[in-house]
Amino acid sequence: MTDLAIVTEKLVRRFGALTAVDNVDLRVTAGQFFGFLGPNGAGKSTTIKMLTGLLAPTSGRMQLLGLDFSSHTLEVKRQIGVVPEGMGLFERLTGVEYLHFVGRMYGLDRATTLKRTGDLLEFMQLADRPKSMIADYSHGMQKKLALAAAVIHAPRILFLDEPFEGVDALAAGALKSLLGRMTARGVTIFLTSHVLEIVERLCSHVGIIHQGRLVAQGSIEELRAGIAGKEGNKTTLEQIFLSIVGQSGAERAQIEELSWLT
Amino acid sequence: MADVAQPIGILKQISLIAGLRWRLLHNNLRKKQSRLDLIGLIVLSLLAAAVVLGLSFAFFAGAYDFASTGKAGLLALLFWAIFLWWQVFPIVVAGFGVSFEFRTLLRFPLSFGAFYIMGLAYGLADFTSLAAVCWLLSIVIGASAASLTLLPALLIVTAPFVLFNVTLERLLGSWLERLLARRRSREIFFAAFILLMVSLQLLGPLLNRYENSAAPWAARVLPYFAYFPASLAGRGVGSASLGDFRGLLLDACGISLYAVFFGILLWLRFAAQYRGEELAESPAPQRPITRAELKPESRADALGLLSPQVAAVIRKEFRYLLRNGFAALLLFLPPILVLALISQAASFRFVGSKTGFSSEFFFPGLVAYIILILMAPAYNSFAYEGNGVQTYFTAPVRFREVMLGKNLVQVCLILTELVLCVIAFSYRVRLPLAPIFAATLAAIVFTVVGQLSIANWSSLSFPRKLAFGQVHGQRQSGMAVLVAFGAQILLFGISSLVLGLGRWTGDRWLPAKAFALLAAAAVGGYVASLDALTAYAEKKKEGLIEALCR
Repeated sequence: MTDLAIVTEKLVRRFGALTAVDNVDLRVTAGQFFGFLGPNGAGKSTTIKMLTGLLAPTSGRMQLLGLDFSSHTLEVKRQIGVVPEGMGLFERLTGVEYLHFVGRMYGLDRATTLKRTGDLLEFMQLADRPKSMIADYSHGMQKKLALAAAVIHAPRILFLDEPFEGVDALAAGALKSLLGRMTARGVTIFLTSHVLEIVERLCSHVGIIHQGRLVAQGSIEELRAGIAGKEGNKTTLEQIFLSIVGQSGAERAQIEELSWLT
Repeated sequence: MADVAQPIGILKQISLIAGLRWRLLHNNLRKKQSRLDLIGLIVLSLLAAAVVLGLSFAFFAGAYDFASTGKAGLLALLFWAIFLWWQVFPIVVAGFGVSFEFRTLLRFPLSFGAFYIMGLAYGLADFTSLAAVCWLLSIVIGASAASLTLLPALLIVTAPFVLFNVTLERLLGSWLERLLARRRSREIFFAAFILLMVSLQLLGPLLNRYENSAAPWAARVLPYFAYFPASLAGRGVGSASLGDFRGLLLDACGISLYAVFFGILLWLRFAAQYRGEELAESPAPQRPITRAELKPESRADALGLLSPQVAAVIRKEFRYLLRNGFAALLLFLPPILVLALISQAASFRFVGSKTGFSSEFFFPGLVAYIILILMAPAYNSFAYEGNGVQTYFTAPVRFREVMLGKNLVQVCLILTELVLCVIAFSYRVRLPLAPIFAATLAAIVFTVVGQLSIANWSSLSFPRKLAFGQVHGQRQSGMAVLVAFGAQILLFGISSLVLGLGRWTGDRWLPAKAFALLAAAAVGGYVASLDALTAYAEKKKEGLIEALCR
């Protein structure tokens, strides 16, 4: 049997009367590059927040690396890395100080933390502003730093919420290469992105969430095969996504009504 | 081309902003946290209103007395009191100011006129200004009640006096904020500030020594104060009471000139803000940049006895403290004020004087004051974390370690300041007798540790994000302030009771023994509370993240 890195069973999260995540059963195999897609407000961020301990589920179970999240919270957290929505940076520290802080929070010893801090800053091309506060970094630099912090303890699962947003093409290329090498070494990457081309190029498997429900899950080939007959093997992920999620008649009508703009 | 047919007028813009403020307040009340915050604010406002009203009666009585005894010119003393309050108090309590940052409106096509008026209006809408206006009204009513003919004169000088104070207060706040925004100027400012405060300590002894020769010098200097707005206001009313309306108009014009002068300076400051002035911590690099040199650590870890997580939190807290100019500035104030008090106590031969006071009560009082001021930030200890708070929940760390780190920093600061004050006290006055000294030490443990447990709970329950290093546009959570008041009243009430019991029973060591027991209970309670807080933080994490990451 294949090792499962992430398993959720009937995962539910309600906010008052709104059910943001509705009975989601996810299966992500270890070493997979998994793309988690969905329209705005579909429940992507809520799911990722629950999987990383930022939000408690209303009901359901989550298992990461075979460990139940609720009963082995710290053990699970030691093995995952997160770039959360908003990046979770302490903006009044410098990049060096922040990485040092995160390394120590994950229990790395000082020498290892320092060595990895230097390596990561160099790799992310952030080493040339040692005294700048994170608040003075550009958005892309902050994103790279958040990613560096997420991997400093060499996690076995990496959760990335929109990791390439605001990152320049040069750095994005290096990051993609790094992430690819990480998955080759068995690290599981769980990524959300609105840029379907990136997901299609990087991810081997995807899950699509719509109105809180997981409406599709599998390898891109499997999903492509699911809608084959219409476009055959040339179907892009965007076409798969639109055919599964669809664009409602109401949305189309609204667009048509914006005559003053279009 | 955009569809904006014509620019809207200043009044319309202001009414739109007022409407926006109302919608923000109204919509905010949908959340339980905000409703609690509002309840806290209302209770605090009632308390503050009681104090303001009490002082209003004092101003009324003073003004009535001066006007009815033909000494209307002495109203200047009251105007000076209001002036000092208006300019100094906002800096001391900036954390309780207005929460809306009007500069965020700059992304809209807001005219500079509307921006300037809004800036002034916000200056008039905070607690300090409202209290000052209230007291000015009391002066006007009090003096008019004594002599109705003074009413026009009072109105003529009070209106520009209000305008002058509002513009100056906004200007000082804006300058201070700008000054503290950059590291280099912050360091210079702190150095100058500390130097000034230390110099003031020498003022008392110098005055004592050169009392006779200083008097003529002071007499020469004092007349110059006659040209300041507060003096002009008092003199103007005094002139009117003598029928000298030319003098009244001249003095009113003088105050107006001050208002115009500072209004122009404020105009320039606001114009810079309107153009999009950035108060960033450090500028973009312009020279060839240097690579980070990360030398391997050879020194022993100073915090090696602590867990890596607690040590990391402590380091982070210290860095944040040192970089938050305004918070760091407030840390210096308590010991400086204490030193000033000690200096006064020593120069007036306070100990053993016939006044009945002694260091027996003075010493615990000073300690209580320091604890009271320095513990206040602990009740909203996540205020400056921002998005970083998420790290505490994604990292493999129990919240007890985060709290412990934060609390240790707090305790360290308090201890350092207390030790400095004890040294100064023993040098300038003398230490109290052993029973009182021991009781005070035990009481420190009791009140600090006792408050920490409550403050930790408050920080998790009523978090509120504060902007780093900003002076204006900041407000603590109303409930957090209320909890802080409640806890401090309770703990200091217990402490007073214990001290009173010692005096009543005649057992001088009773307070020390009682405080030792209370301190042990507080430490036990604190240790027990840490695990409970870990579970509580898990329960409250959504609210905490939402409040700090927005």
